[in-house]
Amino acid sequence: MAYVHITILFTAALLIIIGLYSAIFIDNIIKKIIGISFIEEGVNLFIVALGYAPDGVVPIIMPGMDPAWFAANAAYPLPFGLVLTSIVIGASTLAVMLALVMVLYRRYGTLSTKVMLADTSKQEEYNE
Amino acid sequence: MNELIPLMVIVPLMAGLLISAFSKFNKATKIFAFVVAICLPIIPLASNYGLHYFGGYEPIMDNVTNVMFHPAITYSFTFLQQIFIGMIGILTFLVVFIYLTKYKEVSGPYLFLLFLGTAAVTAMLLTDDIFHMFVFFEILALAQVGIVAASSIDYSYEMALKYMILGSIGSPIMLLGIGFLLALTGSVNVTDIAYAVHNGLVNITSPVFLLSLGLIFFGWLYASGLPPFHTIKSGIYSKAEPHGAALLQSFTVISMISIVLIMFRIYSVLPIFEVLVVFFSILAMILGVSLALTQTDFRRMIGFLAVGELGFIGLGIGLGTPYAITAGLFQALNEIIITALLFIGFGAIVNATNEVDTRKLGGLLAYHPKVSIMLLIGGLAMAGVPPLSGFQSKLMLVQASLSCGYPEISILAIMVSIATFVVFVKTFYTMFLRPKPNDLEVEGKDVPRAMVFAMGILLIIIVLLGIFPDIVIKGISTFVGGIL
Repeated sequence: MAYVHITILFTAALLIIIGLYSAIFIDNIIKKIIGISFIEEGVNLFIVALGYAPDGVVPIIMPGMDPAWFAANAAYPLPFGLVLTSIVIGASTLAVMLALVMVLYRRYGTLSTKVMLADTSKQEEYNE
Repeated sequence: MNELIPLMVIVPLMAGLLISAFSKFNKATKIFAFVVAICLPIIPLASNYGLHYFGGYEPIMDNVTNVMFHPAITYSFTFLQQIFIGMIGILTFLVVFIYLTKYKEVSGPYLFLLFLGTAAVTAMLLTDDIFHMFVFFEILALAQVGIVAASSIDYSYEMALKYMILGSIGSPIMLLGIGFLLALTGSVNVTDIAYAVHNGLVNITSPVFLLSLGLIFFGWLYASGLPPFHTIKSGIYSKAEPHGAALLQSFTVISMISIVLIMFRIYSVLPIFEVLVVFFSILAMILGVSLALTQTDFRRMIGFLAVGELGFIGLGIGLGTPYAITAGLFQALNEIIITALLFIGFGAIVNATNEVDTRKLGGLLAYHPKVSIMLLIGGLAMAGVPPLSGFQSKLMLVQASLSCGYPEISILAIMVSIATFVVFVKTFYTMFLRPKPNDLEVEGKDVPRAMVFAMGILLIIIVLLGIFPDIVIKGISTFVGGIL
């Protein structure tokens, strides 16, 4: 089952790399934000993979289970808890970013970061 | 167990939520916000030092490895937390007071953001859990973005979005570093991770451990506004309302020291860690003060000076000796107070003149003598002029770098202080001493009394800490002795 683990880690790395590329190099703000979500999900996937136990069981101890067998075979539950929190934070960050984009789209009529997020000090000087 | 410790986070958090929910009752909201703001500095003063284990889960012994581990989130409350949380409490009170007196109709969501930020930095200081610290670091970023976006200054939305995008790249990278630490140690508790690292349970030369340092360090650079994030950090200060900027810079300082102290406990075994911290700190000092010299917008100028001052804090911690770390933490405390004074003072000038360009100002000493004198003292404190608090911490930093065998760093620190002095004197002359330009209208416009009151309180603290630095140095050095 080691290939499952490797596949998960590979997918996580791929998501992070694609996300970094689009967050840094793509001009469209929505695509940038999608890239940022890719990075977040890639990191979440990596953390989930840390708790994965090959041929393991769900980390809930049931009556009659041998504690030693359970400790050896159960998945590690801590990363799952962390990822749950991380997903919630990611969703709030995403919501705030999209709300700001909505306001700025109404103002500039474009989704290009080159226009929307140009150096504000230069914008001020230009306006003066 | 100390039940008052979590209240330092719960009170501002719950108060913020209640204020936001019931903000249509304007008068009640104002009174409630004022009462909560008064309570914020009192709770840390009333609380005893100690630990708080959430859910009552105390450390337990692992039967297989015979090592103690922490099964739940732990809050640790010592003198360091007390003095910093107390100071943030005082600052939040002053900022809320300025805001409540400035507007007849207050905004519940804005007050919520101020309290949310305070709760987040308090939790970051208290926690002994690196993931918990990350969660509040993200919450803090949201609060900071909200405070900037809520201001009425032009281009605040653009700056907020820029900061958010950078943060959304920096935060997952930091989380990835935390994930690597989790993979190596199986824990997110800093004490447990530090125990594993310092007792040979983790191979400190492994690429994964080094990579985790790099990733968390990147997150720290973003949180602190050190290069390459210095421009965006000074940018968000300039786009927030002046009282909001005073609070934002204190959030930056607190998040900087809470993350670097956690990193110090884990990575101090690696000599590269201290080299990295010193390198980026020196870069921040040089870039901060040089960029401040070229600014004509005084809000941005203070923003860059604040970045330069952050370099002094990092320098102290990067040198790594108990005396240097004490000096760095004392400098952090001084920076919070001094920069807040400058932001509020210059905010008062904006209020009176509606102008932020130093080239268009002049002759303000005759119109606003109180604000001018207090700003002058604040600027001198930042430059490290005796007997003010900035002098004491900078002198300690110079002594620390000399005793570590780096006289060149001492010389650099003195030169940066002199440059800070030059920047401030130049700005002070332009704004207050030279003749008033004919087109500048200042007559009839008064400075809000709440701002003068806030500046007065901060000035008293600056002078007190300058004359009696031992009030805090002894306690901080005891804390530093505990973590080394």
